[in-house]
Amino acid sequence: MPETEMSDLIARLRDPEEVRAAFTQVIALYTEPLYWQIRRMVQNHDDANDLLQNVFMKAWASIDNFRGDARLSTWLYKIAINESLTFLEHERKRGGVSLDDETTMLIHSIEADEWVDGDELRLELRKAIVALPEKQRLVFNMKYFDDMKYEQMSEILGTSVGALKASYHHAVKKIEQYFSGRS
Amino acid sequence: MKQDLNPLQQVGRMDGMTVPDGYFRGFAERMASELPDKQPAVVEMPRSLWQKTRPYIYLAAMFAGIWCMLQMFAMMGGTGVSGAITPDNNPVLADAIENDSFMDDYYYMAVDEYDLYDDLYAAGMDWNKFMYEK
Repeated sequence: MPETEMSDLIARLRDPEEVRAAFTQVIALYTEPLYWQIRRMVQNHDDANDLLQNVFMKAWASIDNFRGDARLSTWLYKIAINESLTFLEHERKRGGVSLDDETTMLIHSIEADEWVDGDELRLELRKAIVALPEKQRLVFNMKYFDDMKYEQMSEILGTSVGALKASYHHAVKKIEQYFSGRS
Repeated sequence: MKQDLNPLQQVGRMDGMTVPDGYFRGFAERMASELPDKQPAVVEMPRSLWQKTRPYIYLAAMFAGIWCMLQMFAMMGGTGVSGAITPDNNPVLADAIENDSFMDDYYYMAVDEYDLYDDLYAAGMDWNKFMYEK
């Protein structure tokens, strides 16, 4: 979206008369990117759908606090990531699963996922990604699938660009090793 | 073999996940219809001088009231600001003590306990019944 249109949208979000219409536009703009961001973390469509709705509800509840000094996408991504990580932590506690065993839990989710295109290699890639630590997984997903700029990732995750580059490079290496080990 | 070492190149940017048909279509409208109504923002009016000082004035009034109450209790208990009230320092009290009629009417008991027993005995009350009946 062009900068001028974004500024206009943010201005409309601050107008009590137009906030609902403007927020509907925000939902339309960010549904897909946020959905995939969440889905790649939680793996399951139903959970991703619930979390996506939670994200928009929370964003709506605190829209008055959005000052516009950060980008709208950055703000929404932060909420989505927090929701995803909180959900995973909740699932771990519910199943009595440690952080190390989260990989096993997610692999089960992947294998039980009915909303897949059937490509075996992509399924293996998903399993390789869930073997990464949480933050590295986030970095890999945002860079590899969304082709997000490191600067924006830095704003979202609160990590330096250098650390993100190193993390992504490390994640790629681990995934290549995963496939090397399997072949 | 080089291809096998680069699975990411083989997979491309697809993650293999799909969504139910039409999931994204109409999501925005559905979501927007579930958003709760926004409450109007509460506008805080600036506080007047009275609103700022009111708690302290109420506090001072409370302490003044407590002090007055203590003074009143002290006066009722016979102690004034200058100490105990005695016939020597209170002419009204001295006058009352010298007044035999006042002492008879208000100070000395007109009836004592033995007078009561006599009256009851004379009326034929059974002591046993009185003492032991439950």
